[in-house]
Amino acid sequence: MSFFAILRSIYEGFGITAAVATLGLFFAIPFAVIAGVLQHFATGPLRWIVTAIIEFWRSSSVIVLLYAFYYTLPAFGIFLSGITVGAMVLGFNIGGYGSQSVRAALQSLNKGQREAGLALGLSRFDVLRLIELPQAITAMFPTFINQAIQLIKGTTLVSLIALTDMTFRAKQISELGYNPVGIYSALALSYLILCYPVTIFGRKVERRFATRKAR
Amino acid sequence: MAVQMNSSSDNAAVTMEQLCKWYGSFQVLHNVDLSVAVGERIVVCGPSGSGKSTLVRCINQLETHEKGRLIVNGVELYKGMRGLAELRRDVGMVFQQFNLFPHLTVLDNCTLALVRARKLPRDQAEEIAMENLKKVRIPEQAHKFPTQLSGGQQQRVAIARALCMKPKLMLFDEPTSALDPEMIKEVLDVMTELARDGMTMICVTHEMGFAREVADRIIFMDSGRIIEQAAPSKFFKNPEHPRAQQFLGQMLH
Repeated sequence: MSFFAILRSIYEGFGITAAVATLGLFFAIPFAVIAGVLQHFATGPLRWIVTAIIEFWRSSSVIVLLYAFYYTLPAFGIFLSGITVGAMVLGFNIGGYGSQSVRAALQSLNKGQREAGLALGLSRFDVLRLIELPQAITAMFPTFINQAIQLIKGTTLVSLIALTDMTFRAKQISELGYNPVGIYSALALSYLILCYPVTIFGRKVERRFATRKAR
Repeated sequence: MAVQMNSSSDNAAVTMEQLCKWYGSFQVLHNVDLSVAVGERIVVCGPSGSGKSTLVRCINQLETHEKGRLIVNGVELYKGMRGLAELRRDVGMVFQQFNLFPHLTVLDNCTLALVRARKLPRDQAEEIAMENLKKVRIPEQAHKFPTQLSGGQQQRVAIARALCMKPKLMLFDEPTSALDPEMIKEVLDVMTELARDGMTMICVTHEMGFAREVADRIIFMDSGRIIEQAAPSKFFKNPEHPRAQQFLGQMLH
């Protein structure tokens, strides 16, 4: 099998990889923002609950969670597709990390920003929504891109719950004949091709943030 | 809801009665009594740590008091009250560090609260914003971002932003202390003009020239107490309290 043929064969798993990664972001981003904001503001029992949820997703092994949700949920009568389980587990795991970036970014904002908003008569929620979060998200954007890339690479794990993603395809090909160098370098290249545009996108957006400030 | 007060002094913008505040076990304000009439211009001065900023920040409840009464624009304020955001719209505040919103243009800094809090349509908000940017002589910078402006320009934008809300009362918390010397004048000029227009103003400042020219009354604070208050002519010529004499001695040399 030629290198190009291997690549083409791996590419058949691209759809699944992309679907899990994209859907994963839909779990990760809201989770990161909501959990980060709640952890920043909550006090007492609510804060413990939020922290416990974040730690559950952040500090558990993704493989263990994948198996746990994929194989044990049906026992409770909950049937989720492999793509949904994969996206949810990876998304919440990355979202758990992301929540800490959100919280850190909110904490590092000058308190004068909040005070100025309140002094103008905006509600606390509007101050968060219109003044604090936009600045926090700009500040954490490089970290966010990092985490998005982690998420894409993390999708390799869904091959373990029998999803035919790019990694699963590579393993199938590897059973056809002995060519680990060709197959796994093609697989590595495939992920690079997928992740690098995200990096470029991140740099572009960052540059836009920068010109807005220093023009 | 906030209780409307029927205070005896109907034309008082701010009334404080025996106001006390603590930071932990440290008392920053000791039984402060103060009444500011509508249209009055007050300059608050005193050594650092004397409670000047805290006093001013209580007026829009960025700091809450623990004892005593505080009535602003006819409404008594207390910790945890409802409707505070609405009341704050009538009290403009200018900070030492400007605190402009760096992610918004100068124009959007000015329109934000008009659109989101006062619920004005955008074009009307922009009209008001441009009017006030003209007043502080900086309309040509409307579409720039704050970090592209000098400190003096930023502070003038901050004043315009506060004025957009048409406040009944303006608070200034050391508005020129973070500025390079050559930018102080442009900010003080704007403040002087504002005073001439009849704005009720409470200014914490060390600019004694401004105080002399503009203030109706000087409040001198030390260790959380108002220890002297007088018209500038009297305060600068013969202050009564030894602490004020010492303070002025150091200021003027």
